[in-house]
Amino acid sequence: MIKAGNRMGLVFFPAFDWAIEPTHPEREERLLYTQDQLREEGIFDVEGIIEFKPDMASEEDIMRTHFCFPDVKSVTTESHLISAGGAIRAARAVLDGEVVRAFALVRPPGHHSMKCVHGNRGFCNINNEAIMIEYIREHYPRKKIAIVDTDCHHGDGTQDIYWHDPDILFISIHQDGRTLYPGSGHVTELGGPNARGKTINIPLPPETSDDGFLYAIDKMVLPILEHFGPEFVVNSAGQDNHYSDPITNMNFSARGYAILNDRIKPDVAVLEGGYSIQGALPYVNLGIVLAMAGMDYSYVMEPDFDADAIRQEKDVTEYIKRLADTVLQNYFNPPPDGQAPDPGEFMMRKKRIYYDTDGIQESQLEAVMVCERCAGVYAVQSVSSVNELSYGIEIPVGACDTCYDEGLKIYNAARSENKFATIQLINRRDRSYVRM
Amino acid sequence: MYLGVDVGGTHTDAVLLDEKGVISSYKAVTDRGNLLSSMSAAIEEVTKNVKRSEIGNINLSTTLSTNAIVENKLEEVGIIVSSGPGIHPKNYSIGSHFNIIPGSIDHRGKIIAGLDEKLLRDAVSGSVQKKLRVFAAVTKFSTRNPGQENEIGDSLSGIADFITLGHRMSPRLSFPRRIATSYYNSAVWRIYRDFADSIEKSLKGLGIGARINILKADGGTMPIALSRTIPVESILSGPAASILGIISLCDISEDSIILDIGGTTTDIAIFASGSPLIERDGIAFAGLPTHVRALKNSSIGIGGDSLITAADGKITVGPERRGPAMAVGGDRPALVDAMNITGSSAYGNVERSRAGIEKIAEAAGLTAEGAAAAAEEYAVGRIREEAGQMLRRINEKPVYTIHEMIEGIEIKPARIFVMGGPAEAFRDRLAAAFGIPVTVPENYGVANAIGAALAKTTFDIELFADTSSGVLIVPNLGIKKQAPGDYTVEKAEEDARNYLAGHVRSLGGEDSGVEVVESTSFRMVQGFSSAGRDIRVKCQIKPGVVMKMHGGVK
Repeated sequence: MIKAGNRMGLVFFPAFDWAIEPTHPEREERLLYTQDQLREEGIFDVEGIIEFKPDMASEEDIMRTHFCFPDVKSVTTESHLISAGGAIRAARAVLDGEVVRAFALVRPPGHHSMKCVHGNRGFCNINNEAIMIEYIREHYPRKKIAIVDTDCHHGDGTQDIYWHDPDILFISIHQDGRTLYPGSGHVTELGGPNARGKTINIPLPPETSDDGFLYAIDKMVLPILEHFGPEFVVNSAGQDNHYSDPITNMNFSARGYAILNDRIKPDVAVLEGGYSIQGALPYVNLGIVLAMAGMDYSYVMEPDFDADAIRQEKDVTEYIKRLADTVLQNYFNPPPDGQAPDPGEFMMRKKRIYYDTDGIQESQLEAVMVCERCAGVYAVQSVSSVNELSYGIEIPVGACDTCYDEGLKIYNAARSENKFATIQLINRRDRSYVRM
Repeated sequence: MYLGVDVGGTHTDAVLLDEKGVISSYKAVTDRGNLLSSMSAAIEEVTKNVKRSEIGNINLSTTLSTNAIVENKLEEVGIIVSSGPGIHPKNYSIGSHFNIIPGSIDHRGKIIAGLDEKLLRDAVSGSVQKKLRVFAAVTKFSTRNPGQENEIGDSLSGIADFITLGHRMSPRLSFPRRIATSYYNSAVWRIYRDFADSIEKSLKGLGIGARINILKADGGTMPIALSRTIPVESILSGPAASILGIISLCDISEDSIILDIGGTTTDIAIFASGSPLIERDGIAFAGLPTHVRALKNSSIGIGGDSLITAADGKITVGPERRGPAMAVGGDRPALVDAMNITGSSAYGNVERSRAGIEKIAEAAGLTAEGAAAAAEEYAVGRIREEAGQMLRRINEKPVYTIHEMIEGIEIKPARIFVMGGPAEAFRDRLAAAFGIPVTVPENYGVANAIGAALAKTTFDIELFADTSSGVLIVPNLGIKKQAPGDYTVEKAEEDARNYLAGHVRSLGGEDSGVEVVESTSFRMVQGFSSAGRDIRVKCQIKPGVVMKMHGGVK
């Protein structure tokens, strides 16, 4: 019998009875052909590949990570809890030593979900990777974690959640935001005052092919990862960079995805987008599974693969080479945020967020304490077309005494006012997550 | 009258029965070198006082194919495979004549690349030179499109005595399982055919004109004519015979654990609401997973003859077996010897048992009684542990819909049914260890033969329809036709039931109990608009018995 090179966990949850809408890309059929391909290949029989049933994320798991307005139940369905629970199960399998690596092949996706949640944006309600990472930081002695988001769309939700956190390195490789939803992810976005350079964006031009992606991995992602020295690496494994994807414009291949995964060597990969469900997903997912299991993927290829047809133009290659300098500079020598106040002061930021799937408009006023000892206490006032003014306060993981005291002070002050429809406190030091 | 014969590795059991009960039964040691004579002797003996012409049905369970594989008495098979991209097919090379021919079919059954005709011709002529007579043709996704397997089959016509086409073995996906199953099917074909010929001749000679069926590992039977084309399905039917025996002897309606404690092993099966569970995929043998369906069954090395050892003051039992127990002339103590000391049995020479157990007890610093009790306790503990793990695996089985995730039913056994020599002796210990009541059926000595006698014909198919490409296919029945554009899942279920029932009737079996196991219909979308439906219906006749035996429980 065929054996895996290393033990690998697969949490496969295709949610065959869930869709956003009947003909929406995020529909029941999405992983059907992936399942066919994996079954026909005999993946579930490979010695060393173990299939796990997903956990169901608890309300606490969500509240540890997000401010859900007005509450968790209103913005999630069971499918979201299972998908997030699938990511948690994958992480547990790795951290408990059951397997060396794990792939949460789950839907619905999550990387467009931000810290505050009022509904669905970019097919996502809650952020599977972030919920998994916060689960890890609560239950396991892991501090520094890196996320490499290889979905074609900028992982704006994950970026938002970790914008201020110096212990979480977020790298997103995506089609340039000037040409694709959600429009963000410019190379100049590099994290808040407490975490400069811990958000890294690598926007690639349309029609980037295998060469360009792997160049970005080898010359940008890997050196940064090596320096950061994460204790756990997550890959947000969107598959919509594929040349056959119907809603994007890139030229990446299934084998390219397998090589990419093999080079990043994530502890856990979590499926994100990817909507070429017949022509790409069966092959990309197979490639990723084989790569994560330490098996030969050189014979994986799409039926219509034509290297010449998807080869990238010279100017694309040149552009990406030039981009490398900026990206490396952003991490190794990030320019200071000129507007940041002194430590001990709050830095304010106004944001407007549009939820495309649900048609919701949100306005935020965000405040974070500039702090040299921790991620800084965080407070966000949020109002949207579906929720009245609400408040979220977070005392971060490893908060210093000042930020801890300040967080409780803000929370108590907010409670005595009659201003907010909902107030939520994430208190990571006391592991207390409350809503009122 | 129903006749059941179970030719096992150790014993051959036979039973003749009718609606009123057991008419006669027979038990003898199997002559491993001549299974046919063991079987014939059993049949002759158990039917000697009845009118043989009145026997209506004979079901046979035989280890012939299993032994052929285990003892490597396999005929050399010319295997010709073809696969599109994925895991390289060389990883599944089996036998000495494994040919890979370029060609490719995708997951929708679309032909991406035709078979390389020249290489196929070379493979065929190479096989002729090597004087190969049996073949297996297997292509990836042949259950979506059997065209290339059929093409390979055609290229061998006139050369082969027998060809296994992968898609006829099972409707399910898994290229590696299809290769292994097809290989074994062809490799045991000739030895099995000779056996079937002899059995038919021998029964005729005895004046028995009954329908003859062969037991399968899933607890069902197949008519002997069909078994000649799928002989691999006859492997590992022994545990199934015992499980069916329990079904016919006991009224099981709850979630239950079934134990068959034998000489060398204890077989454990789990029932959900009174029905035996079938493995989601087929069983593995010689380390290779196949498409051969089987009842879910786990075997551990705990039995009456399991060796007792003492190490660090701890008594353990099995999994080793070193000859018979001391009570019957062995030279090292076995579990039965311990049972002779605790008084749960009185088997053979009890004094010899005592001598053996005392020696062990001394090594462990215990009294003979203490050591014997510890051995029993250990054996029951191991059974408990294994059954617990099996249940956990079943209850943690991955599911693919939110509905199953939320509504998923957990199996919680409410009763244990125990068969085998030590069954009665272990009753109390098992009840205490599991915390649920224990039932020991009477007549369990030939329960396996009773189970074999009463098994019914089973079969499973999958109908696959794609209304956008207009294809409807039932791979293992060889059906391929046009799917109308307005085909629905309801119509597909009806068709699947009819195909299955018709097929089983044509084999001479009963078509009762056809059930749809799984049925899905996915809207397929191209761009942002609907483009037909992907419809899949799994349909089976599940294992069971044609009637219950009454008064078999105490």
